[in-house]
Amino acid sequence: MRGVIKGVLAEELENSLRMKKEYDEVLGKLPKGCISIKKIKGHEYYYLVKREGKKVKHIYRGKISGKEKKKYEEAKILRAKYRQLLSQVKKQIRFLRSSLRGKEAI
Amino acid sequence: MEKKQSELCLEILTRFHNAGILDNFILIGSWCVYFYKDYFSNVPYIDQATLKTRDLDFLINDPSKIRNKVDIPELLKDLGFVTIFNRSKGYIKLDHPNLILEFLVPEKGKSINKPYPLPKLGLNATPLRFLNFLSSNTIKIRMKGFYLTLPHPANFALHKLIIFQRRLKKEKAIKDRNVAIEILKILINKGESSIIKNVFNSIPQKWQKKIREGLKESEDREILEVLK
Repeated sequence: MRGVIKGVLAEELENSLRMKKEYDEVLGKLPKGCISIKKIKGHEYYYLVKREGKKVKHIYRGKISGKEKKKYEEAKILRAKYRQLLSQVKKQIRFLRSSLRGKEAI
Repeated sequence: MEKKQSELCLEILTRFHNAGILDNFILIGSWCVYFYKDYFSNVPYIDQATLKTRDLDFLINDPSKIRNKVDIPELLKDLGFVTIFNRSKGYIKLDHPNLILEFLVPEKGKSINKPYPLPKLGLNATPLRFLNFLSSNTIKIRMKGFYLTLPHPANFALHKLIIFQRRLKKEKAIKDRNVAIEILKILINKGESSIIKNVFNSIPQKWQKKIREGLKESEDREILEVLK
């Protein structure tokens, strides 16, 4: 039998592995890119800026609704948050795996 | 991580309070031990002595009393919580690297092994046995601008002594038993042996027997004396 601490750590590792999968999934579901506004001769033009491979593409979107603009703004904030948390989860997984490697029953 | 966890926990509680739903919840599980530090402020108490997991469990004793409609996943979305849906059983949990939120309801009648829907909160809850015992005797802890309801430490500890014997994972069972013994010892130290005794006497004899059996394994005479 594992020790109590190792039992808890093993459960936490399972949780962290599940979380990693979830954050990867939710990041994949967020709309890609962000909206950039260019002002040309006093007029506002909306572009969707997104990365395709190594290139950054600016796709002209014409006029977009406030709702869509908000959707991209929210996605940008959430993407940053999820990426930060995903990085935290990855650190947790490394830590938990190394803690569970020892043979002692703690 | 400890500080981040506590801050996040407080933020969640504050949001629940502001949304008017905190009074419908009783915080149960290992996080109670952290909040009992106020209750045990006059006796030596180290909440770190017990292993606290990331699970933040809320018991909803009477879901029909929930008046406010609050979409909890939406309420916590900006904190980075993601909603997970157990595909096989249908239970919903809210995951964050620092905390995992789960909602529970007391299981009544025949076991159905299905989640209990909570449409007003935008999620569902897991029905579990013996939870009425936790809600039957509660305490309120003063937080920043609101009160948090917890099971009385005597109920919390005796409940752990009942359920640890039903645990499938041996190490989790030992953890539960150790926490229960620690809390009971601190209660005795605080001079609340009579409360333990009263709570113990209020439960069915079958449960009392289970508790005694659980304590016999650890041979804790001090607590067995109180429960005589």
